[in-house]
Amino acid sequence: MEVLAKIAFGMYALIILCGGAVTVTAQSLVRALIGLIATLFAVAGMYLLLAAPLIAFMQILIYVGAVCVLIFFAIMLTRASGEGKEAATPTARPAHQYANAVLVLLAPAVFLSWVIIRHPAKSVPVPAKVTVAELGKGLLEPYTLSFELISVVLLVAMAGAVLLIWEKRRKE
Amino acid sequence: MSIPIIPVELIRIIVALGAVGAFVGLNGLVLVYVERKVAGHCQRRPGPFEVGPHGLLTPLADALKLVGKQLFMPTGADPWLFWLAPIVSFLPVLLLFLPIPFSPVLTGMEVHLGILFILAFSGINVLALCLAGWGSNNKWALLGAGRAVAQSVAYEIPLLLSLLAVIFMVGSLNLSEIVRSQGSWPWQWHICTQPLAFLIYFTCAVAEVNRNPFDLPEAESELTAGFHTEYSGMAFGLFFLAEYMNMIIVCSIATVVFLGGWQGPFFSGALWFFAKMYALLFIIIWFRWTYPRVRFNQLLNINWKWLLPLGLANLLVTAFLMKIF
Repeated sequence: MEVLAKIAFGMYALIILCGGAVTVTAQSLVRALIGLIATLFAVAGMYLLLAAPLIAFMQILIYVGAVCVLIFFAIMLTRASGEGKEAATPTARPAHQYANAVLVLLAPAVFLSWVIIRHPAKSVPVPAKVTVAELGKGLLEPYTLSFELISVVLLVAMAGAVLLIWEKRRKE
Repeated sequence: MSIPIIPVELIRIIVALGAVGAFVGLNGLVLVYVERKVAGHCQRRPGPFEVGPHGLLTPLADALKLVGKQLFMPTGADPWLFWLAPIVSFLPVLLLFLPIPFSPVLTGMEVHLGILFILAFSGINVLALCLAGWGSNNKWALLGAGRAVAQSVAYEIPLLLSLLAVIFMVGSLNLSEIVRSQGSWPWQWHICTQPLAFLIYFTCAVAEVNRNPFDLPEAESELTAGFHTEYSGMAFGLFFLAEYMNMIIVCSIATVVFLGGWQGPFFSGALWFFAKMYALLFIIIWFRWTYPRVRFNQLLNINWKWLLPLGLANLLVTAFLMKIF
């Protein structure tokens, strides 16, 4: 079991990285979406490895089943063509821009790994199983505030979208 | 030499997947035959009659024809998306059968969140329709895909609400436990305590699997064949098989959640399960040859103006009554 879990972890990590790479580099929007979906699936697999099947299935139900389909809908509303060459072919940039990009990429990784090495979490060898009932109690009793605050993010995103449209209209 | 230990669960899943594969293949043939026979008798003609006794071998001939056909891809289509779509449509179907309890013994895998598992993976089918519609580079296919998105996103909500009402009463997402919470006589089934939820569920289920009267993504008379216009041979065959298997899945969930699953009067077992499931399948096929297709605005109106408020009200009343009693 232990070995199988490690193999699964490696596969999921590989899919996450490849999917992410496809999402960023694909020239066609729909292909980028496929990369994103692969990544989301592999993340759901990671949740399963953490013995959190509820979150894994919710990830698939909401992100793959609903959010990605809505992204697809949004792509259909754009003037993307079926042949799919939305992104311009990349042109050569000055070297310092690449250096900046690498710096930006590495900074969070270095910071996070430094934090994890300095303050190792008290980890358990086998992840603890939490039943749905316990999870629901947790979300509605001790963690109510954080649970509600997370939903504010959605409100902020919507307000931001409306604001962006207004800004654009004023310019026109 | 030490023998590597293969976990029992893994073997069980592999065996179950093999069995599901056989079940899928066999049922594909049976349902094609039933569909054509029912269509025939609804239209006062005998249906397929030439190949084999009473046309029994017709679906086999159909399958051979599909396998033998050449696979075409239209020019200008995105090859990756075009060939990915039928596979994405078919693969989750095999997984969907795993948690369904056909009988206490005949359960592929006991999943504690069984119903959530099925709902999560059945959502992938829409994605496959979108990919097919987009990848074909064809206006009919694209229109079909657009309709599929609007339809399935809309109908998924009342479907979840109607199932949630029963889950509230049982307090479990495990399909076997939902069956055990019901008795063997019809008045002990959830269809008697939640008749409205059953009606909402069944309507939404027919819409989710794109069957008549809600088969707008592939409306033949308007869109040639909708999202699968450009697919030939087994690529079309996979879509076709996935559609039939999704029908079986939604009927199985209806059987488990509302009709007492494997339990029935006098004896209980897989026989009752299959009897109820095939009866529901027959009703869905019957719908197709009875009702005309709805218009797209009617389709969305039925959902947003009727099913969704009714589902919400049903859920509220359920929760309220649960709190009192």
